[in-house]
Amino acid sequence: MRNAPTRSLVSKWSTPVILMGMCVLIAAFAIARDDAVFLRVVTVMFISVLLTVALQTFMGNSGLGSFGQYAFVAIGAYASLWFGLSDQQKRVTLPDMPITWWIYKQHYPFELAIASAAILTAIAGAAMGVAFVRLRAASFTIATFAFLIVVNRVALQWEEVTRGSRVVIGVPRQTTIWITVAWACAAILIAFVFKESSIGLKLRASREDEDAAASIGINVKLMRWIAWTLSCGMSAVGGALWAYFIVQFTPNNFYLHETFLIVAMLVIGGAASVSGAVVGAIAVALSSEMLRQTENWLNTQRNDGTSFGNLLPFQLIGFTEIVLAIVMIVVLVVRPSGLLSGRELRWPRGNSQPGVTDLAENIDEA
Amino acid sequence: MTLLYLSQLNVFHGANHAVRDLDLQVEQGEIVGLIGANGAGKSTTMMSIMGAVKPRSGAVVFDGQNITGLPPEQILQKGIAPVMEGRRIFPSLTVGENLRMGAATVSDKSLVAADIERWCDFFPILRERYDRPAGNLSGGQQQMLAVARALMSRPRLLLMDEPSLGLAPLLVTEIFKLISEMRALGMTVLLVEQNVRMTLNIADRAYLLNLGRVEFSGTPDQIRSEADIERTYLGGGQVQKPSATPTAS
Amino acid sequence: MGSISDFVQYLVSSLSVGGLYALMALGLVIVYGISQLVNFAYGELIMVAGYGLLIFGRSWLPWVIVAIMSVICAVIVALGMDQIAFRPVRNASPTTMLITSFAVSTLLQSVALLLISPRPRAPRLPSIFVQSAEIAGIRVKVVDVVALVVSIVALTALQLFLRKTIVGLSLRAAADDFTMTRLVGVNANKVIATAFAISGLLAGIVALFWIGRIGQVLPTVGFQPVLIAFIASVVGGLSSIKGAVLGGYILGFLTIGLQTWLPQDVNAYRDAIMFAIVIVMLLVRPEGLIKPAFSRETR
Repeated sequence: MRNAPTRSLVSKWSTPVILMGMCVLIAAFAIARDDAVFLRVVTVMFISVLLTVALQTFMGNSGLGSFGQYAFVAIGAYASLWFGLSDQQKRVTLPDMPITWWIYKQHYPFELAIASAAILTAIAGAAMGVAFVRLRAASFTIATFAFLIVVNRVALQWEEVTRGSRVVIGVPRQTTIWITVAWACAAILIAFVFKESSIGLKLRASREDEDAAASIGINVKLMRWIAWTLSCGMSAVGGALWAYFIVQFTPNNFYLHETFLIVAMLVIGGAASVSGAVVGAIAVALSSEMLRQTENWLNTQRNDGTSFGNLLPFQLIGFTEIVLAIVMIVVLVVRPSGLLSGRELRWPRGNSQPGVTDLAENIDEA
Repeated sequence: MTLLYLSQLNVFHGANHAVRDLDLQVEQGEIVGLIGANGAGKSTTMMSIMGAVKPRSGAVVFDGQNITGLPPEQILQKGIAPVMEGRRIFPSLTVGENLRMGAATVSDKSLVAADIERWCDFFPILRERYDRPAGNLSGGQQQMLAVARALMSRPRLLLMDEPSLGLAPLLVTEIFKLISEMRALGMTVLLVEQNVRMTLNIADRAYLLNLGRVEFSGTPDQIRSEADIERTYLGGGQVQKPSATPTAS
Repeated sequence: MGSISDFVQYLVSSLSVGGLYALMALGLVIVYGISQLVNFAYGELIMVAGYGLLIFGRSWLPWVIVAIMSVICAVIVALGMDQIAFRPVRNASPTTMLITSFAVSTLLQSVALLLISPRPRAPRLPSIFVQSAEIAGIRVKVVDVVALVVSIVALTALQLFLRKTIVGLSLRAAADDFTMTRLVGVNANKVIATAFAISGLLAGIVALFWIGRIGQVLPTVGFQPVLIAFIASVVGGLSSIKGAVLGGYILGFLTIGLQTWLPQDVNAYRDAIMFAIVIVMLLVRPEGLIKPAFSRETR
């Protein structure tokens, strides 16, 4: 076993390669199939992969639960409009923004607009993070949830920057499947490098026992804050890509339902590993799309009054969420560390230590 | 008559083999000491008797019944009451409410009322502070409350885990005096203690644990006469002066 | 005369709204105190009772019976939640439990969406919800007075229960030290189930007035109340029963006060302000206005 170090190094770094390879393969498959609906599904799926990985970067390493991610997705989405639209476009899309504002004059190329939005959001996240990292467990989650609500309510009212509760219109569709897959791969790489970095390692040590980690000189709050800020910036990219893909939205598209979906993806896949985030996002995105199509098909049958359709007592609405919620509860109960149990996908296998364990590890305590 | 009998008990804490092949016997009316250094497996033994930790193998037999692996709430109903390390009174409940919680398994209300009277007579401070939150009591008073609360369940065996821990030396003497008084009440006591000297002063017999095994057992005199034990456990550091018979106040 | 009458009206509405908020917060806190579970799905208990009003209300039964049956439904669902979803994750971290409750909340909402309707439905309500009465020359809404009385009765009853019965004492003891409560012979599952039952009962009572006030029920009807419960309990103290009551009343006075005196365009930001207060409160005084007198030793 003398040559183990090199071998295990290859094995370790095979993880991001495998995950990125999976994404590229799916993208290539979608493009080859050339089905508009499927392409759309896969594009949105990559944004979900990006967001789940962003959430994993914080939640998986720190063990704290954030329900506030979509606040930053929203900020990222709207900020990408401020930076990315020309002043003529802004007149249509954000008609209430005063032309005297500095931001009104800014008009960057697409990729630069996304990067600017990410930086702006990361700054906002960093500012909030200074406060949040002081909180523990449930308090942290409630605070981030409260922040989600604050951002939602402010966005709904502040027409100058968001167009309020009205649907944003006139955004060009610039996000393509290749752009999303590229960003998703970048996020996977960033998340993996972060996890394996000394900051990530220290943070994971603090996840098990905050006080013990602090006692060996780890500045837990600083590590958390760095992960949080990074996660906010990555989330903003997801928001921006989504904005330029969906092109019509309101602040209510960045709220509870969406939060639930990403949290479900992460929990089902397993929060403690990047692989868990990616696998969870892909599995949930594809299976909920399948469910949704089944739901639609059943509803069409019923509306058309076919003999089979008449067996359905009612319209199926929310069926997908029900299945998703049940799967999530079952996973939390039966396999609390998610499908991948905190492990990373590796090649060659073996030597893959389960990532130090997951959020819900101390089951037989008490 | 043998009240409590542990046979070949093995308990693990994760990978740590905390208690190894432990045999122990407590006769009716005895005060039995379970002594040893920190980490010798004393508290783990106690937790497995109480059902808070499940032994890997072996049996816990109480009054002829096998109680191994029963949940804590049922063990108490069999007649074993714990006085936990750190006292573990309910701080936001009043003294009286703590006593009533001790009798949570007693359904006869008049019996509960009579017992409260009885233990308040025995510990006058508890009557004095009856309606105060128990968290406001001093450490020694909390220990008395913890004992009284355990007695409220009308147990046949009292398990005491480190009752002297964290108390001022003068109070330690008080507490040991209290334990020896339990004998007069007809109570059987299994006393887990690090304070070897004081324990040997009041116990009928004692078991000396080391690294999860019984290293020696016998009467206090037998234990004291073991030169090794004298050196290892009684040699240095103990501040209490040995007093052969605790004097009654 | 006018100003006195205004003031009395303000007082009555604030006390009635505050009482309901206090009950909402209590339903959250009573479970949190024992199990460290912040139950997101608490709002869905209110929804369940609301749909109870709708469905049972279609029968010929008198409204009081309908109301009692609806409250019972909320209690049953609360017990079911505990049994099916929360008991298996009881020893997991607070974060895991919170996420579980988020899933339960989504599940129940979606079930309502599927089985009933996404659209608001109006249940049969007795006329007291719209009547006003004149007491000593001052006009007040009847429902405000009823809510005020009911909330005070419920709070008093709960207080007596927690002080005088052994089950109530066990609940408080378990909030202090859960393991020790088991060691004095109390059945852990029963205590937690009792806490959930009380939580369901409170949600049911709240639902009668909440739905009576807005006159309709829809799958997301529980969201606003659960937010209120969050704010009130964080402000008052998440692990203090007194704190929850205090937080509820403070929030009641604040809400009605802001509604009465704040200009309309600032009022639009009311929720944002409230939740900013929550964040500040968590940071500055995480234990709330009333902190537990004795910190728990074993958590």
